[in-house]
Amino acid sequence: MAEMTVEQLADAMYEMIKDAKGMKKYKATDLQKAMAERFGADKQACKQAIRLLMDSGRCIYTYFGGSYIEIPPDQPATP
Amino acid sequence: MAEGKKYETPKLDELEKGAWPSFVKEIKAAAQKSPMAAALLGQLEQSYNEKIGHWKHGGIVGVVGYGGGVIGRYSDLGDKYPEVAHFHTIRINHPAGWFYTTEALRGLCDIWEEHGSGLTNMHGSTGDIIFLGTTTDQLEKVFSKLTALGFDLGGSGSDVRTPSCCNGMARCEWACYDTMKVCYNLTMAFQDEIHRPAFPYKFKMKMAGCPNDCVAAIARADLSIIGTWKDEIQQDDELIKKFADEGLDIQRQIVSRCPTRCMDWDGKKLTINNENCVKCMFCINSMPRALAPGKERGAMVLLGAKAPIVQGAQLSSVLIPFIDLEDEESWNDLKQLLENIWEVWCEEGKNRERVGEFALRVGFGNFLEAIGLEPTPEMVAYPRDNPYVFYQTAKKE
Amino acid sequence: MERRTDIGPPHYTKFLPPVIQKNYGKWKYHEGVRPGVMVHVAESGDKLYTIRAASPRLLSVQKIRQYCDLADKYCDGYLRFTSRNNVEFLTTKEENIEPLIAELEALGHPVGGVGRSISNIVHTQGWVHCHSAATDASGIVKSVMDDLIDYFTGKKEVPGKLRIALACCLNMCGAVHCSDIAILGIHRRPPKVMANLSQMCEIPNVVAACPTAAIRPAKVDGKDTVEIIEEQCMYCANCFSVCPALPMADAELDGVSIWVGGKVSNARSQPMFSKLAVPYLPNNPPRWPEVVQTVRKIVEIWVEHAEPDERMGEMIQRIGWPRFFRLAGIQFSKEHIDDYRYAALSLKRTAQLHQS
Repeated sequence: MAEMTVEQLADAMYEMIKDAKGMKKYKATDLQKAMAERFGADKQACKQAIRLLMDSGRCIYTYFGGSYIEIPPDQPATP
Repeated sequence: MAEGKKYETPKLDELEKGAWPSFVKEIKAAAQKSPMAAALLGQLEQSYNEKIGHWKHGGIVGVVGYGGGVIGRYSDLGDKYPEVAHFHTIRINHPAGWFYTTEALRGLCDIWEEHGSGLTNMHGSTGDIIFLGTTTDQLEKVFSKLTALGFDLGGSGSDVRTPSCCNGMARCEWACYDTMKVCYNLTMAFQDEIHRPAFPYKFKMKMAGCPNDCVAAIARADLSIIGTWKDEIQQDDELIKKFADEGLDIQRQIVSRCPTRCMDWDGKKLTINNENCVKCMFCINSMPRALAPGKERGAMVLLGAKAPIVQGAQLSSVLIPFIDLEDEESWNDLKQLLENIWEVWCEEGKNRERVGEFALRVGFGNFLEAIGLEPTPEMVAYPRDNPYVFYQTAKKE
Repeated sequence: MERRTDIGPPHYTKFLPPVIQKNYGKWKYHEGVRPGVMVHVAESGDKLYTIRAASPRLLSVQKIRQYCDLADKYCDGYLRFTSRNNVEFLTTKEENIEPLIAELEALGHPVGGVGRSISNIVHTQGWVHCHSAATDASGIVKSVMDDLIDYFTGKKEVPGKLRIALACCLNMCGAVHCSDIAILGIHRRPPKVMANLSQMCEIPNVVAACPTAAIRPAKVDGKDTVEIIEEQCMYCANCFSVCPALPMADAELDGVSIWVGGKVSNARSQPMFSKLAVPYLPNNPPRWPEVVQTVRKIVEIWVEHAEPDERMGEMIQRIGWPRFFRLAGIQFSKEHIDDYRYAALSLKRTAQLHQS
């Protein structure tokens, strides 16, 4: 399997969050575990991918009963 | 800002009376300039009348890129008190030991007067500077001015919470290690873990310079670092004698109350059997200057304290009996240990499961194995007294 | 301007007065000078005086600036706050102590809380700013400390240290569970399930949040929701923290419980949890007289019966719980007996008993 770039990981994470929107919320570790399983991604790359999602505003941290990574509520579902 | 609407607050006014400084006076002072603070008075008076709170937890707002440091707060009476309809908290990482120059404090005040309610907590329970009450549109402005002043946000949510410590060597002869340095260095080493929540739940760190534990590390921190020493209590026989001459009943008040009965007093000289001393600080507290912690100083590292939610309250328990944190290698070992703990806890921990609860759920022995620490008798009050042992040999067959 | 992130707090050395920078790690001893004032003496012979003043913790920027004015006038522009939220003024000039205390007192901030005394109450937000509060924090703290002020200022002597803390719910954002006296806000009814729960919360998360498995998935009018097995609920409110559609607060049933005998210090006895003294007192704002009277009564028992430097929990261990309850005039009830995880450890499992 070709190594995923940080950008590709971010996109894959974003899709995962989008698909589960309204049904399941993911924590940072959920995303990291999924990426490790699917693409063999390492922890550091996942961290960078999450940071990319946050700094670009595509995702935000939410904190109802724990910290989750979600798509901002008033934003269209695709970037 | 203009003066806000004035509310009648007969119940709160009662709390302006009396000798203890009044929080109501503080809110009223802020209300001179802030309509938010004025509306807070109105809502709080209503709470005092109805005996119920009127805040709703947010869960979304923050500054860009961070998942900690801002706690969204909304009034459930927003129509009645529109100025506090949005009333978010900002946590600011305090300087280690809570020392300030007036210049820095005035800078913080100016920011908060312009962009928020003008109300603060000095400090919050974890140790942060707390700015109480602002609206979403002000958050980035506050953040930008704070960083220009040299301050940054603290932790909230499932992250490393703002580490805090006692004033240690800055103003205490009992400090067994440099708490402020360790606190600052850990804070700086784990900025990402403070600002970008990636854990099952919160993780608190507190550093106390001696076993008196003025920051309640053993009760309140997932990682508690508590100063201690290895060698003999330093004693000055002349000064001990002086305590006795001035009326201290050393036999009754000190010797007979020592938890391990490790000392004798013959009326002139105090003899300490240091081998039996557990470094509790009681005699040292009672005869300051005459007694002092030993010279071979360092710290203990303990893990797992928490308040009751979810599975019940816990005190921290020993992980590393003694560590010299001045030593570069030990310092790196400590950081590596933290990384190992987080790795295991993130992999296996449940949502809202603190690390202390996690370690007990998986078995403390298994937890030690997973983080790479050898079990030692210092870690237990006593070895197990139940015979249901998960013998390793049986499992391998 | 470039956006700065992850800069951390300012380095503490920037905020240390010169006398501390010079004598960092080289302090020799400290002693009380008068109530609320101590002197630290360094190996170099330098002296640092600390004047500790009461603070309500909730401070306006106006008050912080007034503190700053005093620190500029008397302390070369340095001050600090303590782990119990008092404010401390630091000076090398002994002659500054008296005028500084006079100004602090004129400002409404009495000086005290050092050594053998009752220091400030560590507390939480309460109705001022918290969504899960079962009581107010600042109002009770103010009322209790107004009543105990002489023990803070040293006007009345006490046998040792006594630490009071208040948390406005079981989340306990203060070290309440290990305090000599703990004041704890409590809910006493199960959460109400709001109709729109499934829109606001993930049901598996809500079910998993309950430590006693009192929440199970349910369907109401064809909609997914949860139901509460009410007899299994112990009102911890963890489910409410996870899901705001399960409100716990109740104007009539919420109130305060009082706990005693905890400590965090290792001095003499090991750290201890606080134990239940009074299961319930009503919320009675603005001054919570029942709470104030109960705390005072417990403080007075300690003042009368404790040996020098004996903490509340140590004293109770010595005199026995039955005598404590008799002295305090508190009715022992079913609620006092633990029925959770480590309940068996709290039963009296010995024939050693104070029989008188």
